[in-house]
Amino acid sequence: MRMSIKKTAALSVMILCLLFTGCGTGAGSSDSGSSASAAGSSSVSASHDTAAVSSVLQEQQQTSSSSGKTFSLKHIPAFKNKPYVTVNGNDPTFTKKQLTAKAYEHYSPLDSEGRCGTAVASIGKELMPTEKRGSIGSVRPTGWHLVKYDIVEGKYLYNRCHLIGYQLTGENANSRNLITGTRYLNVDGMLPFENMVADYIKETGNHVLYRVTPVFKGDNLVASGVHMEAESVEDHGKGISFNIYAYDAQPGVKIDYATGDSHLTGKSAGSSDTGGADKNASGTYIINTNTGKFHKPSCYVLSRTKDKNKRKYKGYRKKLIEEGYEPCKICNP
Amino acid sequence: MILIVCVDDDGGMMFNNRRQSRDSAVIKKIAAISSESILWISGYTKELFTDPGGSNIRVSDDPALCAGPGEFCFLEDTSPGKFADRAEKLIIFRWNRRYPSDVKFDIDPDAEDAASGKRWKKESSLDFAGTSHDKITEEIFTK
Repeated sequence: MRMSIKKTAALSVMILCLLFTGCGTGAGSSDSGSSASAAGSSSVSASHDTAAVSSVLQEQQQTSSSSGKTFSLKHIPAFKNKPYVTVNGNDPTFTKKQLTAKAYEHYSPLDSEGRCGTAVASIGKELMPTEKRGSIGSVRPTGWHLVKYDIVEGKYLYNRCHLIGYQLTGENANSRNLITGTRYLNVDGMLPFENMVADYIKETGNHVLYRVTPVFKGDNLVASGVHMEAESVEDHGKGISFNIYAYDAQPGVKIDYATGDSHLTGKSAGSSDTGGADKNASGTYIINTNTGKFHKPSCYVLSRTKDKNKRKYKGYRKKLIEEGYEPCKICNP
Repeated sequence: MILIVCVDDDGGMMFNNRRQSRDSAVIKKIAAISSESILWISGYTKELFTDPGGSNIRVSDDPALCAGPGEFCFLEDTSPGKFADRAEKLIIFRWNRRYPSDVKFDIDPDAEDAASGKRWKKESSLDFAGTSHDKITEEIFTK
């Protein structure tokens, strides 16, 4: 059943694509100005309500522009090892008219650089996947590099990041829904929000209007981050309501967003197994008894460590190493 | 007071003035375990209970201050650390998922309670399937 719905939607997209491209609203050029812009333009909809989709997309393009009323990269603080910041007081900017309980999903066509644009959906149970995720390896988003660093969880710096997560709309190798994103963006920035929305929908049966825009600076091939907004429909935002910007960054790694090239920074560069910290240092460290690594108490990795696996240690760093523990390569304790 | 909270893998409870998640299986459990006593909740939490006017449910702006010994308090919208010394028992429902959060669960069950000098002891841990969560873990701690 799910597959047939998706196939029908895909056919609708193809037909609409031809129609709209003929009207001169196909893949648009990106704003190559000095400030942030949403790549691509809206032209196609697999929606049950094309007007509603156009409205949501149009507003996003306006608000993502440098003169936007609610969102501009100019107002986003520099990345400081925090995966996201709130935008517009955490209030999404949808209008009442845009909030529809009719499920739809729309992925903007790629722009002239091949970059993704806004993805928007009114997500309900009817759009959620019923099958295990398929392969997405055939898609090569702009700025894609296969690069590994020891300091990155899972080693690979870049993931093919779904704009609208698989658990929400079941999209696999859809090139309009996959960007080059860091592991940190994928797991720490976007996934918690996707989880929250998915579980809310599963529990309540309600719909959530969900809009994700990759924010590219100028002609960059890698997005600086993603702007994510969501609002639950039937309860008018009582259950789900947020407006955030998640950084496409990775602690300890410097990224050239124009090309996707990257290198380790500061203490991480050329770090050995024992890290770059003073080997006679002492202080308070948190040991992960599961991984055998120790961290600074402020290390963000600890936020994902189960309490039962944490052990506090006060004393000399070198003693921990003598006991076989390894220093975390991210916080470099 | 028997303090009840729901937390995610980051120790979060709320985000943007909204609960991170909900599951009717958890609510049924809370209703069941508190049925022989008083259950204190806030006005925000009231909507989760199908019978919030039930004879054992009390709604207050400060449920954790109202709950007496042996009475239950299901706290969603306030970090519970400041009430830890009043709690004789702690029931944590873990979502086993990561959500965004800006209100945190600020009691460390592994640490000594500053006021009483007592430590929490884990009495039990039970995994169960929720209606919308694959695995929820119920942990019970006592002092």
